[in-house]
Amino acid sequence: MILLQSPSRFLLQILQDRVLSGDKGVDIDCHTVEFDDVRYHIQFSMRNPKVMVLSVALPLPPPEAMLYDGLPLGAIEAIKAAYGPVVQILDPPKDGFDLTMKINLTKLPPDEEQRNAVLTQIASVREVVLGAPLKLLLKHLASKTVAPNVDKLVALVHRPNESFFVAPQADKVTVVYPMRFQDSIDIVLATSFLQEFVEARRTSALNNAPSCLWSPVPPLELKGVPSDALNANAGFVTFVVFPRHVEGKKLDKTVWSLLTFHAYVSYHVKCSEGFMHTRMRRRVETLIQALDRAKSDAEKLKKLVNGGSFKRLSLKNDGN
Amino acid sequence: MRLFVALANTLRLYLTCIRNTLEAAMCLQFNLRVCLLYLQNFPCQEVERHNKPEVELKTSPELLLNPVLICRNEAEKCLIETSINSIRISMKVKQADELENILAKKFLRFLSMRAEAFQVLRRKPVQGYDISFLITNYHCEDMHKHKLIDFIVQFMEDIDKEISELKLSVNTRGRLVATEFLKQFI
Repeated sequence: MILLQSPSRFLLQILQDRVLSGDKGVDIDCHTVEFDDVRYHIQFSMRNPKVMVLSVALPLPPPEAMLYDGLPLGAIEAIKAAYGPVVQILDPPKDGFDLTMKINLTKLPPDEEQRNAVLTQIASVREVVLGAPLKLLLKHLASKTVAPNVDKLVALVHRPNESFFVAPQADKVTVVYPMRFQDSIDIVLATSFLQEFVEARRTSALNNAPSCLWSPVPPLELKGVPSDALNANAGFVTFVVFPRHVEGKKLDKTVWSLLTFHAYVSYHVKCSEGFMHTRMRRRVETLIQALDRAKSDAEKLKKLVNGGSFKRLSLKNDGN
Repeated sequence: MRLFVALANTLRLYLTCIRNTLEAAMCLQFNLRVCLLYLQNFPCQEVERHNKPEVELKTSPELLLNPVLICRNEAEKCLIETSINSIRISMKVKQADELENILAKKFLRFLSMRAEAFQVLRRKPVQGYDISFLITNYHCEDMHKHKLIDFIVQFMEDIDKEISELKLSVNTRGRLVATEFLKQFI
């Protein structure tokens, strides 16, 4: 898997199992956590086996990101538009969560294909909620207008206590990511990865992709942002998105890719570390084999026959 | 291409130089062991029933030989210290940029943590170096000397090779990851 998938596997599996299992219901009450600290709480009760209560906790927002009642801009509307009558939002949400929804599985479409599409959509709830403001801005880009009542620079939360910045304009939207990593090895690997993004964009095959820049200092777009939000240790990545990147069906894909850019880079940094370990282990094995060749056959034989080492023998001789 | 060949040649020369010096050092050690009966197994002069590698303890200057330092350049060097019953080889690996530095650190740490399996590897490198070997008279008794030298040389070649291959694989992966991501927008 190179690209990250938006439906949560766990959520989708539970939903599908429940739909297929018929009427017999068991109590389910479980928690799960996804990357970037998105938490889910899933509940089914015996009394209402076809009603799922799903609570979602979003990553802790930094001070500069704007939220409305704990949810990103336009999230409620996005949920209503995406799920229709299947989902009912409960207000206020459960303690410790940002959103609680009641999902009525009896209202799913009877056709299997359509039903699966809705279930997948429900499993991608993080994309719908967290991606709502970005989708709003990019939708306006597709029609070459600027969304009303929106600042020049919008901070959107994507990781706990971290946000990325979007500067919407009528003909283009600039997205800037301050890249932060905890581990010193991660920082170095990520920096080299990010420079590859710039290099890859220069190849002729990707001429139509959004232009991509990397710089160790904050770019001009971020003027006026509080310095707390700008302490990135792996530099800043800027993507410039044009209307052609958000036409029609491309919109959802673009929203998801931009939303999970950091997670994507970090995932591949970890993967390549894992790969390095496999390699190093193999190398250690071949080196140990080389050392084994150096051991004399006589010595190996002696150890087998006597079980005593040369060291002890020589000590005894000294004593005599 | 020519540059690459030249670099490969310098590497070869450097490794040959180390091999020769090692042979010389071990030969020296061998001669000493033949000449003096105790050298085979040299107990500590100060403490009863102690038998330690003198190159580590440096209890007396007359048990030590002059250390040999082989330099390929500022960043890559190899120090060979010889004593009456043990020999210590320390290496500094080239680290051209930050990525190589991290990769070298990671790989050498990985090796040092497995020092037990390598027997002749020191758990901690000598200060100022990246990795160290400690070969005692017991190792020499257990192993063929020329094969031991082969091992050390192969080890150094492998470290060099591994680090440049790791770097290459990180870059290739980065390019692939970037291309796949950007492809989504087209």
